[in-house]
Amino acid sequence: MGRWFYVLNGLILAFLLLPVAIVILFALNPEPFIAFPPSGFSLRWYDKFLHSRDFMHAFMLSLELGVGTALLAGCIGTAAALAIARGNLPGSGFLTALFLSPLVLPGLLTGFAMFQLVMVLGIGRSSSVLLVGHTVVAIPYVMRTVLAVLANADRSIEEAARGLGASPATVFREVTLPLIRPGVIAGCMFAFITSFDQFPVSLFLVAPGEETLPIAMFNYLRFDFDGTIAAASTVSILLAVLLVLAIERTVGLQNSTRL
Amino acid sequence: MLNRRTLLGAAAGTLAMPTLLGAQEANTLRITGWGGAWGEVMRSKHIPTFEKAHNCTVEVDTAFPFVPKLLASPRGRPVYDVLHTNSNEQWSVFEQGLVERRPDLKLVPNAAKTYPYATSDSIVGIVIFTSAIGLAWRKDRIQAAPASWKDFWKPEYAGKRASYVIPANSLGQALFMMAGKVYGKGFKDLDASFKAMEAVKPVRLFDFTGGAENAILAGELDIAVLHDTAAYRNQDKVPVEFAAPSEGVMALEQVLSVTTGTPKKALAHEWINFMLSQEVQRSMAETVWYSPVRSDLTLAEKYRGKLLTTPEQVATLVQMPWQWYNENKDRIDDRVNRIFRG
Repeated sequence: MGRWFYVLNGLILAFLLLPVAIVILFALNPEPFIAFPPSGFSLRWYDKFLHSRDFMHAFMLSLELGVGTALLAGCIGTAAALAIARGNLPGSGFLTALFLSPLVLPGLLTGFAMFQLVMVLGIGRSSSVLLVGHTVVAIPYVMRTVLAVLANADRSIEEAARGLGASPATVFREVTLPLIRPGVIAGCMFAFITSFDQFPVSLFLVAPGEETLPIAMFNYLRFDFDGTIAAASTVSILLAVLLVLAIERTVGLQNSTRL
Repeated sequence: MLNRRTLLGAAAGTLAMPTLLGAQEANTLRITGWGGAWGEVMRSKHIPTFEKAHNCTVEVDTAFPFVPKLLASPRGRPVYDVLHTNSNEQWSVFEQGLVERRPDLKLVPNAAKTYPYATSDSIVGIVIFTSAIGLAWRKDRIQAAPASWKDFWKPEYAGKRASYVIPANSLGQALFMMAGKVYGKGFKDLDASFKAMEAVKPVRLFDFTGGAENAILAGELDIAVLHDTAAYRNQDKVPVEFAAPSEGVMALEQVLSVTTGTPKKALAHEWINFMLSQEVQRSMAETVWYSPVRSDLTLAEKYRGKLLTTPEQVATLVQMPWQWYNENKDRIDDRVNRIFRG
């Protein structure tokens, strides 16, 4: 590899990571406003974030929604991908497009449409409705990763198991699932992050008093512009890093992302 | 073990559930509200007082945007009972038939204690508080206080002044109209306003007031179009001052209106009356620095001369013609986008 290749890679990495580094620095600035460079070192904004009832409630809700979305979207997305790839369904192209449509539509439009639906049905907004909304948006990520793994999976192993008398459930449990496991885990990881950072859908579906972290941050930003936002952002970034590390430690990130 | 009594109890509970939920719903007032310090005071102090007095629950939606949600909810079943926004948004909501022109003032006895601007013809709904939009400036960087809106255009502030993205921010829109008045024939003089927007460049434009507030606190700017609340609440931190230009300060009113078709009209009016009570008016003025709309209120010494409480101070407030602005918004947006992009 040439020297310029490394320089270019370094520049791209700097472009991607520099904003994150600046946010982390903002969170440590003791001044009551966001300024760069920081004038000192303080953990006051972390203290404010961690002792804020609103932020903590929003953070916990976002975590719960993220886990719920990863589980729900993981199950539905995996089942849908299997049905489309292995099921010989009529109109599988249409079904694929239908499941992937939240990726194509602008998020605000999806959120607005869902809000209108729950209003017309008289269901109202609640955390359960928000979970459904997040799941709909996250399913395409699981489907894409599972479909990609399925495309490369050796189908003859499943056929051999079936030929040896295994029931469909046993084939799925003993053969298919281990084969697609990297795609399912990577999809669930994307689903969690999509839900945790979800803004446009949450904007319309959050119930009063049940704001998620991105919505709480947006509302805060309209009235106060101090380092609390930077502290909240840093915690979100750390959470994403921890999640990736946890997956790496438990199932192996390289295995999960080799698609 | 499932016995007959348990089964009957469960069945009765299930059958009663919609009625119970309905009763709970009937006793819930759904309003919009703000976050930050405003939200904290409301939640910790005033909302519990109102809930206790009226044996109800108040459900506050603080997640913007409110108007599209109201627009998307069924006409006979609005998602809110009371809409709380700034004055500029209320006209378009009213014209779409989503809120009533004015609450029934017979059901709002405290309205009789307010200054006339609270129910002026330029307002849809009723004003509960107002901020004054003027010029915030750094005392450590500017020698003499700005006296006129024209001072904002001074060449020495080129690149060191802040305003707002006009299509998105009501303060930017208000400045646009004020430019028509100070450089032309009046608020509706579009040509004068467009010329003034050309002349104000270079200027830093923000989406939210919080952005301009932060920039002036951080010392990135010398002068900014800002509401008095933002300047006063930060004076203990940085040398920032608020100037009320001689042509008048622009009113940024907080308005409550009753939504069309709400089944909780009586409770909605009780809420508006409560927000105009002496207790709430004083408390919110003294904690979050908004000028109260009541004319019979005497605030603590610290707030006098800053918040607009006397008839003389209130007379400096200029209410902007938002109905006209909304009618011309698309045309204005198109032109100012080209001005600031070029």
